[in-house]
Amino acid sequence: MNILGISAHYHDSAAALLVDGVPVCAVQEERLSRHKGDSAFPLLAIESCLEHAGIEPDELDAVVFYERPLLKFDRILTSALRAFPHSWRAFPKAMKNSLGEKVWMRGIISSHLSVPGRKILFTEHHQSHAAAAFLTAPTHRAAIMTADAVGEWATFSVGYGERGRNGPTTIRRFREIRFPHSLGMLYSTFTAYLGFKVNEDEYKVMGLAAYGRPTLVEQVRKLIRRTPDGGFALDLDYFEFHTSARRSYSSRFVELFGSPRNPYDPIDVDTAEGRRFADCAASVQRVLEDTLVEIARALHDETGLPDLCLGGGVALNGVANARLLAESGFERVFVPPAPGDAGCAIGAALYADRVHFGNPDRDVPDHPFWGPSVDGSELARLAREDGHCSEECLDDTLIPQVAADLASDRIVGWMDGALEFGPRALGHRCILAAPHTIETRDRLNREIKYREPFRPFAPVVPIDVAGRYFNIPPAGTRLARFMSGVFPVRPEWRSQLQAITHVDGTARVQALEPEMAPRLHALLVAYGERTGIPVLLNTSFNLAGEPIVNRAIEGYSTFLRCNIDVLVAGGTRVTKRKSAMARTQLDKVKEEVA
Amino acid sequence: MNKNSRSNKLVTNLISGREYIDSGMNSARPHERPTALDRMLTPLHRWIWRDTERRIHKLLRFGETETDGGRDILRASELTSDPLLRRLYLEHAIDEFRHGVLFRHRAAALLKVSASQRHSGFQGDWLAPGGHGLDDLQVDRESDTDMLAFLHLSEKAAASRFTVYRDVMEHDLPTRAVFEEILHDETFHMGYTLTQLARVEPRRHKHHLWRARFSRLWKAYLRLATGFAGIVGSIVLTIQYFVLLPPFAWLAKRAERRETPGWSVAPLDGSASLDRQY
Repeated sequence: MNILGISAHYHDSAAALLVDGVPVCAVQEERLSRHKGDSAFPLLAIESCLEHAGIEPDELDAVVFYERPLLKFDRILTSALRAFPHSWRAFPKAMKNSLGEKVWMRGIISSHLSVPGRKILFTEHHQSHAAAAFLTAPTHRAAIMTADAVGEWATFSVGYGERGRNGPTTIRRFREIRFPHSLGMLYSTFTAYLGFKVNEDEYKVMGLAAYGRPTLVEQVRKLIRRTPDGGFALDLDYFEFHTSARRSYSSRFVELFGSPRNPYDPIDVDTAEGRRFADCAASVQRVLEDTLVEIARALHDETGLPDLCLGGGVALNGVANARLLAESGFERVFVPPAPGDAGCAIGAALYADRVHFGNPDRDVPDHPFWGPSVDGSELARLAREDGHCSEECLDDTLIPQVAADLASDRIVGWMDGALEFGPRALGHRCILAAPHTIETRDRLNREIKYREPFRPFAPVVPIDVAGRYFNIPPAGTRLARFMSGVFPVRPEWRSQLQAITHVDGTARVQALEPEMAPRLHALLVAYGERTGIPVLLNTSFNLAGEPIVNRAIEGYSTFLRCNIDVLVAGGTRVTKRKSAMARTQLDKVKEEVA
Repeated sequence: MNKNSRSNKLVTNLISGREYIDSGMNSARPHERPTALDRMLTPLHRWIWRDTERRIHKLLRFGETETDGGRDILRASELTSDPLLRRLYLEHAIDEFRHGVLFRHRAAALLKVSASQRHSGFQGDWLAPGGHGLDDLQVDRESDTDMLAFLHLSEKAAASRFTVYRDVMEHDLPTRAVFEEILHDETFHMGYTLTQLARVEPRRHKHHLWRARFSRLWKAYLRLATGFAGIVGSIVLTIQYFVLLPPFAWLAKRAERRETPGWSVAPLDGSASLDRQY
């Protein structure tokens, strides 16, 4: 049975293809269209999935959209009515936005793919999140918690799932919190207040939080109160996201927290103003964590299950995930590599397969590499044409050579195999560097990633030695598998791991099993043999504002535009050393033009 | 990236230094002659740019447009099979990104001194040239010749418009210097796109230029028509909002008052058919 899952039209659209109950391909549209957070209908991603599996659209048994468009429209219209007359500016925009395309999903999918309308199915948004979290996790019974900004009406849900081995699957949500009361919207409102991009830069708030103290927790608690039934509700006087498309916080919010940050002013945490913003970030982070932990603890008491599956954009908050593991009572916490909306494509397809069609349960391969593969020979050709030094060699030569590059403080762009699905670079599209000095971190921020100096970098370490360098609880390695948890760097190693140790002594570590990314694992071992510390700084292979690279040419053009020293794709290694011929040709054109 | 650090240094110079401005300002080059239409609109541009709030807003918009355009050209560099064009596009894209930085830095500097940090009043957004990126160009579907012809005309139009902007900016020398700097790059962009078009398509390059001109006109019409339709749509929807919605709003508010905050029972999973969109 071939089932295509689609998520689109909010942010980060994606497609995923299931063949006989097992994912064969999943890719975010942004990685192919090269528009960061592309929310357009994911035609390129769909084409890529179908091409990968070698099937035509008419061979699809079902196409599943990740939410119910008319239910979402109901929420948008009702919210506008409830806010009458204050919503008069937002109303025309919202209607044009929804009625233009979004509510006609069956027709749109049908016309794009030429599949009959009866084959097109719709799951609920949080159902998709729950399925993506539970059905991809290596557990058979677990509590499920999903949290994001908003789907149709639900913004937060709790429930449980059960998979019988080769038998039926049950996913049941007990209850949900409904819009406009939303933890995700609370966090996003602070993201906007702190001058960052909503739905994109929430992780910057988390990074900034480490520089502050939660001195404003009481003020944040005025915005969100716990309800007697154990849920929560926002005080809507402090928000405008439900009435306005222009601003998410109200003037009362500004009275409480002071003026918002000008997005074009850099944050300097050494100034009073910078510290105020850091304190805001720390306070909302603390309230978010407390709320999640309390709800999860109640869910644990209710279900008595040892495992928790987390889904939704809020599950990208690694600090909160680590606290959930430590304090909620659950023994293991599972977060998929793509817990956000992109991951709903895979969740919707899995839900339709297991629950709607009742197909027997299958284990989903436990890795994030579901995208197109990189071609090392393409990189070799490009480098040759431009007169850069390139060499193609086998791993027994290449890996020690790259380890030597890293040991001599060179920064390496690393492309290997299939592209990751989800926001993290987990070993196939990475920028790697030595993790030892602050200078490396600053160089990466300044010359390569062009991003704020307060943002930390993540380390990658072989799983068998992760405990030597990081204080990871035994069950924490599961969170660290997909870089979903933040854990302390052991104090005795902090001075030697300065580039990846955040200001609060933590790191969002990836603990790598050799089976998941064998070549990166071999590189870590080789680097360890050379330097004594098998840890590397691992950041996503992209520049600020751009999606993670996919093909060799995209890695190559990124390599040329920043100060990455070495680029590796498959078995090809390229260094920047222009030949005289290449320079002459380009200069000749310039002279002619001049 | 050398150019990026250069741009940062340059921005600092632009904001504080006058020497640079004086040295480059008086060298009017042939390409910097605005078109008749742009010359005619000079008083309007002077009025728009006089206000600090509008200036900030427009600079930010230009910053976005330049960055988006840079991404489109970068994409073109990744898609072309011509190695020389790849390198030229890449240089061009880097320039566009740098222009984005220049505009953003200048806007940020103005924001700092602006008394109110709010954008209000008439913005003239929909008159901004280019909108996002290269007029919503579908880079993936364009051939090298179409791309070069389009880029040449875009750069020429931008140079003409930016010349007017530079000239009406006597009261704000740092912003004027930003336009001056960018105009300097446009010379190279206009030149290389034309010479490369002649190289790639020696016989029919003029034909491609004309086709690109018509395409730009058509897209301008579409932008205008879409903008107009959007305005009409907004007016109709706003009228409907105030005329038709009040009774429904009353009902919705009454229903909202009955809702208790906190948990709601979730719909039973599996009970709702996946065929339904609601």
